[in-house]
Amino acid sequence: METLQFAFRKILYAIPLLFGVTLISFLLMVYFGPDLTYSLIGKNPTAEQIAEVRTQLGYDQPFFIRYGMFLKEMVTFDFGNSLSTGERVSSILLRTVPVSFAVALPGFVLSELLALALALIAANHRGGFVDKGIMVFAVVGMSISFLIVVIVFQIAFCSIYGLNLFPVQGWVVSNVADYFHYVAVPTMVIVFVGLGYNTRFFRAVIVEELNRDYVRTARAYGVSRFRILSAHILKNAMIPISTRVIISLPFVVIAGNLVIERYFNIPGVGLITYNAITTGDLPIVKAVVTSTAILYVIALVFTDIVYRMIDPRVALNS
Amino acid sequence: MSDANPSAGEVGADRSGTDPVLRVEDLVVEFSTEKGRIRAVDGISFSVMPGEPVGIVGESGCGKTVTALSVLKLIPSPPGRIARGRVILDGRDVVPLGEREMRRLRGNVASMIFQEPMTALNPVFTIGSQMTEVLRIHRRMSRREAREHSIEMLHTVNIESPAKRFTQYPHELSGGMRQRVMIAMALSCDPKLLLADEPSTALDVTVQAQVMEEIRRLQEERRMSMILITHDLGVIAETCRRVIVMYCGKIVEVSDTRGLFAHPRHPYTSGLLASIPKVREKKIGRLPTIKGMVPDLADLPKGCRFADRCPKATAQCREKEPELVEVSPGQQVACFYPD
Repeated sequence: METLQFAFRKILYAIPLLFGVTLISFLLMVYFGPDLTYSLIGKNPTAEQIAEVRTQLGYDQPFFIRYGMFLKEMVTFDFGNSLSTGERVSSILLRTVPVSFAVALPGFVLSELLALALALIAANHRGGFVDKGIMVFAVVGMSISFLIVVIVFQIAFCSIYGLNLFPVQGWVVSNVADYFHYVAVPTMVIVFVGLGYNTRFFRAVIVEELNRDYVRTARAYGVSRFRILSAHILKNAMIPISTRVIISLPFVVIAGNLVIERYFNIPGVGLITYNAITTGDLPIVKAVVTSTAILYVIALVFTDIVYRMIDPRVALNS
Repeated sequence: MSDANPSAGEVGADRSGTDPVLRVEDLVVEFSTEKGRIRAVDGISFSVMPGEPVGIVGESGCGKTVTALSVLKLIPSPPGRIARGRVILDGRDVVPLGEREMRRLRGNVASMIFQEPMTALNPVFTIGSQMTEVLRIHRRMSRREAREHSIEMLHTVNIESPAKRFTQYPHELSGGMRQRVMIAMALSCDPKLLLADEPSTALDVTVQAQVMEEIRRLQEERRMSMILITHDLGVIAETCRRVIVMYCGKIVEVSDTRGLFAHPRHPYTSGLLASIPKVREKKIGRLPTIKGMVPDLADLPKGCRFADRCPKATAQCREKEPELVEVSPGQQVACFYPD
């Protein structure tokens, strides 16, 4: 019950934050953003024609009216139509978000879990060969460029020069088998790229916890090493770890993996955003950027609530 | 195996004809540091009889905590290791034992209370879950039995509304209360030996007295052996029957408490006693201090380790290290010129 109240309060506090986020998005992308007047009218326009187009676009309205219209677009999830295809932006998003989600999620989950397992093993053998081996692997993984990883994996798994097991690009999914077929290589790439960073971060957190006094107490009372790691330390380590995981979620869902979707030609949010940026399709960019920002705020609220569930020291009434 | 005679510094054994709960023989604990290998504890021997409270006193870094940690083999390893000697706990040498066997002894045959009650308990688990875990490990109790026993233990250490405290988290308790919880946890499996490492140092002065009183009462009631580590001679005087004075990893004096206060034999002990403020003293001047600095363990002088700070030191003291010898019944000292 207390936790529910806490959650409710955190959500209330997020409202001003949302206004701030939308205001900045509005200022950067709409108010001071590109002026579409001249791309919509022909050559040698008269002053009246320019004024007419500007009225149609709402450029002659005062600041707060325009901000209000922007907010209305956000709330009603109606961002207008794409400039290049004319399709409704909301239906584009509804079509692409699930695809991005399906592409990114397995890699995301696997990468976090594998990294946590490796970090626990490394921390448990701190200073030993196993630890050093895992850390060398992590640094090497981090140091290789994303693009190189994509290309190498594509050659290794999707080409006649390699195993040629999976499609090099595209997304034609109608059943589970198709899904695994298309998601396999992107997942491997995501895991490979994220694993190094995550392992290093998780290991640092766990090693810090290993040096705490409560670990010595647990040892002094006969608690087994496995239980100290898997219960006593892990629950404490979940505080920084969950923050990192939850905060990276919005990017998985919506901003997507721009690079992954571009290189595997997967029609997710990342790909349409990439195309929208390169072609100047403002309604799509506006929708993606703003929804990412809003999701980010929601993730922050969610993090606070998870904190409260893990760590009893987080004050309920602050 | 050892170059020192293991029984040379033996104290307390065979006094009442029963076996000691703990017998430490020629214990050497080494740590590898950047300056090379140092000996935090260098060839100490002592024993603790059943029901006997023994104090270990000395400055920070003299090896008293390392000694206590060695009993349960809790020395962080690496960098530390027991390089030599025997630690016979309840009739069994623990030095060769593996982790699995040590786990059975920890919190069961011997328990330890730490200095920092604020950080010694896990912040994200309730008092109850931490206490019952120990009982479930050693006594294989059901959840319910463990809960009942824990609440009873909290009651024993005079915690009010124990059932409520059982469900609370460490941060909801005061420092003194947390230390009581530690005591309750330490005693829950009825250990034969309690290792108390400066249990009251981190607490407020008024709470210090209460916590020490609690430890004293429980030690007596349960006829439990205890090693009380402190740098506070006042606490030792009120609690312990026998005192071990350590300096730079060595035992410099062992004495029954009364004898130590009435007639300290080692110049270091005399210095420690002189630096305690005395309330009844008429003239209040500057407190005497022991001049000089504790030598670096990585760069120890050749002879007696206290020689550089000792008012009585002679050429012999700087050449040869004095051994611990009995100078009067119940009093042993490692000095060529005992008082």
